[in-house]
Amino acid sequence: MKTDMAKKLGQATWEYVNEQSQILFFVLASDGRILETNRFAESMTGCRPGQKKFQDLVLDFHDSFSLDHLTKEPAIEHLLNIKMGSRLPQSFYFRFMTMAPFILAFGRLDAEELESMRKEMLNMNQELNNMTRTLQKKNTQLRQLNQEKNQFLGMAAHDLRKPIGLILTYSEFLMEEISVSMNTEQRDFLTTIQNSSLFMKKLVDDFLDVAAIEAGVFDLDLEPVDVISLLEKSLKPNRLQAAKKGIELQIIAPNACPQVPLDASKIEQALTNLVSNAIEHSEPGSTVTITLIYDSEYLVFEVRDQGSGIIPEDMDKLFKPFKKTKAEKTSGEKSTGLGLVIARKIIMAHRGEIQVHSQPGLGTTIRFTLPLKD
Amino acid sequence: MITTQLYQDYLSLLLKGDRIACSRIVQNFVDQGIEIKTLYTDLFQKSLYAVGELWEFNKISVAKEHLVTAITEGLLNLIYPRLFEKELKKKNKKVVISCAANEFHQIGGKMAADVFELNGWDSHFLGANTPIQHMLEYIQDVKPDLVGLSVSVYFNLPSLKKGLDAIRADFRNLDILIGGQAFTRGGKDILKQYSGAHYVSSLDELNTTIAG
Repeated sequence: MKTDMAKKLGQATWEYVNEQSQILFFVLASDGRILETNRFAESMTGCRPGQKKFQDLVLDFHDSFSLDHLTKEPAIEHLLNIKMGSRLPQSFYFRFMTMAPFILAFGRLDAEELESMRKEMLNMNQELNNMTRTLQKKNTQLRQLNQEKNQFLGMAAHDLRKPIGLILTYSEFLMEEISVSMNTEQRDFLTTIQNSSLFMKKLVDDFLDVAAIEAGVFDLDLEPVDVISLLEKSLKPNRLQAAKKGIELQIIAPNACPQVPLDASKIEQALTNLVSNAIEHSEPGSTVTITLIYDSEYLVFEVRDQGSGIIPEDMDKLFKPFKKTKAEKTSGEKSTGLGLVIARKIIMAHRGEIQVHSQPGLGTTIRFTLPLKD
Repeated sequence: MITTQLYQDYLSLLLKGDRIACSRIVQNFVDQGIEIKTLYTDLFQKSLYAVGELWEFNKISVAKEHLVTAITEGLLNLIYPRLFEKELKKKNKKVVISCAANEFHQIGGKMAADVFELNGWDSHFLGANTPIQHMLEYIQDVKPDLVGLSVSVYFNLPSLKKGLDAIRADFRNLDILIGGQAFTRGGKDILKQYSGAHYVSSLDELNTTIAG
């Protein structure tokens, strides 16, 4: 076929059309069957001779827009949308010539349209580049602001610690020394001062922790630790809290466990925070279970409560500072909203992972895993 | 240190449109701790001037010139965050940099904006083809210490002049720096009409001007 066509068109013309041209070229039978294409047409449309009719390549080709109509006026160009295999369709200006028994179809790209598209793409690329830079600069500024915020938070918390400590000490002193000579109302006032001071102290301590963590001043002091003793020690403050609410603390742990490198005080803090949170969301008479699982690669701590659980919409809020979930504390306990945030940061610093599973109405399990190998 | 060989390799990859290989070269320089300004002057500026010349003498197509520019802009974005890594002494000064209206070549202005950042300035880059009114409103809003105008194509000098007239009308005492390849064929004379308007011929000269 190519040889016949070469004869008819002339060898040089055919070579140009076949090899060089940026023109779609089709040799069609009178019914539109594609008998021959040039390389450009084949590569652009993915169409091989003998497979399809020309009409199949054109988007929205309908009967009234027939090949007869297209070939009637060879001088007229027809704008046709051509299917481009897996790419987006593209518009070409087509001319049709009859060279009995064949129809020759030449399609050219709209150079003006291409150029304007290219310019538009360039402009969009420039705008995208500029926006990326603006975003990068804003991010840097935000990071700097965050650092300054942490420094301020750290300084403010540090300066507040001393007066709060004094209020706490003197209120404890008053409670111990002269509460017998007070009436009930006065004792209530003093208890409120004491509880509020304790809460403020906890808040300030948490602020300092968060500020230190976010400022990157959070060095782990890793030393071999007896995990069973660590577990017992960290649960001490929780036992008192649980007893006050009539909640049972159940511990499931192996009898012995080899020493593992951890920052004991920080893991203790994380564990205390998680258990404290579980107690706060548990009803009197229920059980909070703390499970320790050890294997040669991981250390797993699991804290399970039988509280009201967390609704799915609140899951994202759990580890965000000051975000309160809808789950209510059963005895109206106050919290800083930072306990879980700090626990998570400590676990992450140990290259660990924390996971939460909760079923509303049935309770919540928070499990954290610490890797023991690099 | 950017050796002649490394520069030639980079230029040839740039002309081939090999974005990834160009990024690799730039990343290597950055990893070796090259000064950002050196990268700007001895690699980006030098290669862009070379490509501009090839385009002017019809050795490469306009499409290729645009491809080179797009790749270089991408590379500028790659290293842009590093501008802020060093603890720079902030000068508490602001500059607004804009291309003249109808000027679509923005990369020179963008590099100038980065040189200001490297010198502790807060730079606001408005981009290509900034309408004059938009530029005036931005200047009014940001109240910069300096305005920089970039123009790359000689035929856009009348647009630059319109921009200068508008700035002078609204901000009589605002200092203006003007730069760009448009002036390689002359045209600096028009700047004499504007007090407080100065021409800077290169990133090096800009650096010296603002550092001094």
